[in-house]
Amino acid sequence: MSTPARILVVDDELGIREGCRRVLAEEGYAIELAEDGMVGLAKVQEKPYDLILVDLMMPGIGGLDLIQRIHELDPEIILVVITGYAAIETAVEATKRGAYEYLPKPFTPEALSVLVKRGIEKRDLRLEARRLYQEREQRLLELAGEKSRLRSIIGCMADGVLVTNLEHQLVLWNASAVRMLELIGTDEPGKAIGHYLRDPALVDSLERIMNAKDEGFSMITQEIRTADPSSVLMAQMAPVRDEQGRVLGAVAVLRDITKLKEIDKVKSQFVSMVAHELRAPLAAIEGWLEVVLSGEAGGSEEQNRAWLLRAKERADSLLALVQDLLEINKIEAGKVAQKMESVQLTDVLAKIIEFFRPEAGRHRVSLRMKPSVAPPAVQADVRDMEKLFTNLISNAIKYNVENGSVTVETSQDAHFVGVHIRDTGVGISSADLPRIFEDFFRAETKKRDKVSGTGLGLTIAKKIVDSHLGRIEVESRVGQGSTFSVYLPYNK
Amino acid sequence: MKAGGKILLVDDDPDFLEMHKAVLRNHGYEVLTAMSGQEGLERVRAEMPDLIILDLMMEKHDAGFSFSKTLKTDPLFKRIPILMVTSVAEATGYRFSLEEDGYWMKTDDFLDKPVLPAVLLDRVRRLLEKKDENP
Repeated sequence: MSTPARILVVDDELGIREGCRRVLAEEGYAIELAEDGMVGLAKVQEKPYDLILVDLMMPGIGGLDLIQRIHELDPEIILVVITGYAAIETAVEATKRGAYEYLPKPFTPEALSVLVKRGIEKRDLRLEARRLYQEREQRLLELAGEKSRLRSIIGCMADGVLVTNLEHQLVLWNASAVRMLELIGTDEPGKAIGHYLRDPALVDSLERIMNAKDEGFSMITQEIRTADPSSVLMAQMAPVRDEQGRVLGAVAVLRDITKLKEIDKVKSQFVSMVAHELRAPLAAIEGWLEVVLSGEAGGSEEQNRAWLLRAKERADSLLALVQDLLEINKIEAGKVAQKMESVQLTDVLAKIIEFFRPEAGRHRVSLRMKPSVAPPAVQADVRDMEKLFTNLISNAIKYNVENGSVTVETSQDAHFVGVHIRDTGVGISSADLPRIFEDFFRAETKKRDKVSGTGLGLTIAKKIVDSHLGRIEVESRVGQGSTFSVYLPYNK
Repeated sequence: MKAGGKILLVDDDPDFLEMHKAVLRNHGYEVLTAMSGQEGLERVRAEMPDLIILDLMMEKHDAGFSFSKTLKTDPLFKRIPILMVTSVAEATGYRFSLEEDGYWMKTDDFLDKPVLPAVLLDRVRRLLEKKDENP
């Protein structure tokens, strides 16, 4: 023991006090003395002692009362009663009130020192026991805290978590798992996993994973369909092991991959559509080249040249298609590629109309801009605006009739600048109208096969308008013409 | 090598119509063309061709199927061989075969676009010979 044990002697007889001090100081204890109960109690309240010798018969607070009050303050203090009136009754009473041992007066120094030594040992044992007890309490508290923290963490995960034990009983789960798998009866935990799951196939695969008792690391990933046919879950399952690697149960982590699946499907549909659109012109080019190279069509040099020109036209259209696909990609990349600035649409439109004047002339279509007050500037990407109105005006010319007209007009309301492109062309049937902004859609018209086009022009137009937070509208009558209106927001 | 025979081409791509027409004409066939299933049926009824070369993907995606089904279930026309020419197989990653798909597709042979002129001529000749053997 590094610090000496602290001993207090409470006795009204000076001789006893000094006698005890002498004997115990020699043994190396730290001794303090008190001449009555009041002084003794005050000292105990002031600082801790390991052992206290108490005289039973004292003026003021009697020994029995003092023992009881000290014991209440610190039950681990060793209380030794010393008294000249040794009697069984008082000894029993003192022990009841918390005394450890009884030393009748007169006593020899040897008896005192043996008893104190034993008492101090007892005191050490009591303190050690208390420490161990507190430590255990603390551990239990920490463990409970750990478990509840784990539950909180698992509880707020968006992924579903299920844990089963060796008996395939559900022991831990979270709200996401309940929602994803539509678990039933989780208010009664501890039953076999099949009790909570509706889908027997899922139970099978979960049990299979739990039965995978191989020594190595194993993990199974599989897609799971639930009762809701539109949703797809990805389940990752693995055995739960202890430090020695023994299997304790299994854990399944579930992720809702429905959205990913949908994106995947849309993507592969688009890829397959693009592949088909690329293949058609390529096959035509290849076909023409074969016809000319093989000589099987027996054409003259002039005829062969005409066929090669046909191949070149298809190559040009293929190039335009690739260009449009890149354009779509750029728009979908969004703000990364866009350079927003203040744009006066009438300037953009005037430029495009000038550019198209020769082509309009070739189609015998009159092209004009209807004069009006210049609308406010809009925040836009100039290149996007050029592409947008080029596509719309080009369509208005291409799908027009001889001696027809294309009129471009602007308007404005409280929030939007409007651009209206009116043609007197073939028009779009009401059946086709809802589909014209779809990828690769080309309306059925008598003119379509004579007009080159990728089927992406309006797709691009719509994507540009959408990316500028505007809207595009179309009104059309077959045989009378169409009006495309673009509305873009402006800052007042 | 005057082979002879009247062939109807049905395809909505004018390039393929024209290139196949040029090759077949040069080898002595009489060639009719149609750009839709409907137009094709009208020409079959009016002209009774000896062979039809049909593109699978026309105005609607199943136009080629319904065209051949209509003809193959008509006693008057079911003996006209149909050669299906398509670019659908590789675009969808799905390959057609006569053994598996011939029954429900009701056609007599398949070719992938683009068709080599020599291959086209060879298939046409064989289909016409087979037709002549089993009148």
